[in-house]
Amino acid sequence: MIKDYLGLAVRSMSHRQKRSWLTIIGILIGITAVVALVSLGQSMQRAVNKQFQQFGYNLITIYPGGLRGSYRGPYSATFELDTDLIASVDGVEAVEAMLYKSAYIRGGEPPDEIEGFLPVVGLSPGITKVFSQFKLEQGRFFTETDHYTAILGQSVPKDLGIGVGEQVEIEGQAFEVVGLLAESGLGNNNSGIFIPLEALWEILGDRGKVSMVWAKVGQGYDAEVVAERLKAGLKEARGKEDFTVQTIEDLQKLIGQAIGILQAFLGGIAGISLLVGGIGVMNTMYTAVLERTREIGVMKAVGAKDSHIMWLFLIESGFMGLVGGAIGTALGLGMDILAVVITKRFIQTNVLEFGISAWLVIGALAFSFVIGALSGLLPARSAAKLKPVEALRYE
Amino acid sequence: MNSLRLAAGAGPSGRALIELREVWKTYRMGKVEVHALRGVSLAVAEHEFLAVMGPSGSGKSTLMHLMGCLDLPTRGTILFDGADISSLKGSELAEIRGRQIGFVFQTFNLVHTLTALENVELPMIFQGAPRASRRARAVELLERVGLSDRLQHRPNELSGGEQQRVAIARALANDPKIVLCDEPTGNLDSAAGMRVLESLRDLNEEGRTVILVTHDAEAAGYARRRVQMRDGRMVEAAEEALR
Ligand SMILES: Nc1ncnc2c1ncn2[C@@H]1O[C@H](COP(=O)(O)OP(=O)(O)OP(=O)(O)O)[C@@H](O)[C@H]1O
Ligand SMILES: [Mg+2]
Repeated sequence: MIKDYLGLAVRSMSHRQKRSWLTIIGILIGITAVVALVSLGQSMQRAVNKQFQQFGYNLITIYPGGLRGSYRGPYSATFELDTDLIASVDGVEAVEAMLYKSAYIRGGEPPDEIEGFLPVVGLSPGITKVFSQFKLEQGRFFTETDHYTAILGQSVPKDLGIGVGEQVEIEGQAFEVVGLLAESGLGNNNSGIFIPLEALWEILGDRGKVSMVWAKVGQGYDAEVVAERLKAGLKEARGKEDFTVQTIEDLQKLIGQAIGILQAFLGGIAGISLLVGGIGVMNTMYTAVLERTREIGVMKAVGAKDSHIMWLFLIESGFMGLVGGAIGTALGLGMDILAVVITKRFIQTNVLEFGISAWLVIGALAFSFVIGALSGLLPARSAAKLKPVEALRYE
Repeated sequence: MNSLRLAAGAGPSGRALIELREVWKTYRMGKVEVHALRGVSLAVAEHEFLAVMGPSGSGKSTLMHLMGCLDLPTRGTILFDGADISSLKGSELAEIRGRQIGFVFQTFNLVHTLTALENVELPMIFQGAPRASRRARAVELLERVGLSDRLQHRPNELSGGEQQRVAIARALANDPKIVLCDEPTGNLDSAAGMRVLESLRDLNEEGRTVILVTHDAEAAGYARRRVQMRDGRMVEAAEEALR
């Protein structure tokens, strides 16, 4: 039956091609915008998830600042933390720390000497055990016995004119450059200099201070459970909760939520254009009912019930929605692909990871059909309610 | 010719197929009331061929719409096959129109986006007939009215006479007991009109009840009974013998 009605609907639409297409375009634009934005959000999410997977889910991050909100980013606050206590917690395999500072740097040979402030990051020597993706492009990492050694961020050689094997002066202390970090080895500190944590404490006289601590969870332990234990232990020892314990999963959820909110917000705005598209469908259908009043009368005379007429018009408007939705979905996904390609080319980091989600496609198609059908509801009802004789007399 | 006859039983039975008792139809236009029918009583038996005659505005079309269950009377009773149509729901009236009645209009009233074949199929779609049997019957009906070479033509590609023959084929789609015609020859020349009237006579001869609204005496001559209307009243109901 639906098939027969669809046939009738297609006949009357193809008879009014221009208007049908214009109506379809109204829906199409809305669906394109919604699909593009949602798909973009998903691509962002995918890229984030991939990065987290690289981190591994067995990592717990501890940073200063109590309840969420008071925290001002990993690099602005420091605190003293009893790393031995953390290491003693059941399930913690290794504890590594980082201190982020800004320090006075001097590099290069006179007369090409350059000086100024650069971020200097103190790292505990075992840091590579928790960050497997901490990769060097050149040279080697610190050993346990290294002290005045430095690893340069990717862009430092260019900025300072020094390289591996040369010397760099940090707060008046000479350091030997032993390695060059691969791109974005740790955070996005391409312009920072990395030295052993002990050495940084020494030259700044800031012993014991850290910006962030990582605890690696041993095999077979649940990171969430270990994190809870860690939190309880720290709270008891410190007497207050002036720190945050976060698992990678927590962080992932948090970022996922942020992306979700952004997606909902943008999607909502795009949804307004869908509303406009829906009104377009309604307008077209009201016009169609008016134009086809006599035809409706004829159909009723040959036995069509109100419900038949209703379905006829609903299927027609739903079909227009569906066609708009199908094209719009394809265009929206195309725009996402374009965004992925462009960001890959110009930003060169994988902030987007393309993929087609089946529920997005199905959801968009179903939604566009429903929008079309809903917009056609009132016109279809007015068509169904026409009195046969009056419809037949209509000129 | 009679391959399609059916539906209507064999011989005349006494019971009226359609009966109108003191039927009034009043249209209200603002404050003015227009009485299109002023107490019409009429009984149409099965297998009749009835002509309803009368001048323009006398209420013929209004009467036909009521007999065809397209509208309900303002006052009075209309019995269709024994049932009071005022007590029926809209969907039940649609059911009667779809299964028991075929309409032929002066202006043909074909759906202009559909081909001749599809127009004939249309009433069967609303009865839920399967596609294959529907198509076969539509082809058969169009053959019967001599349009087997016009199946894929749209109404605007057909002459008036051809369009009216498509309309007759469509009226027969669901094998109705009654065929109601409102000035079917009004827009046709005399040759095409004659052909239509002859088809109507064939339909009656195969057992269907035919009601023909016309102001053309010659057309009315094809009927076996004639009634005359004036100002919403039945003025004359002269029974006539079979020619
Ligand atoms: N919907 C309506 N609203 C108001 N008046 C109407 C309506 N339909 C019919 N009438 C009036 O009812 C009267 C009878 O109309 P009807 O169409 O039945 O006449 P008719 O005998 O078929 O005329 P014709 O031969 O010209 O077709 C006319 O005076 C007409 O103006
Ligand atoms: Mg009339």
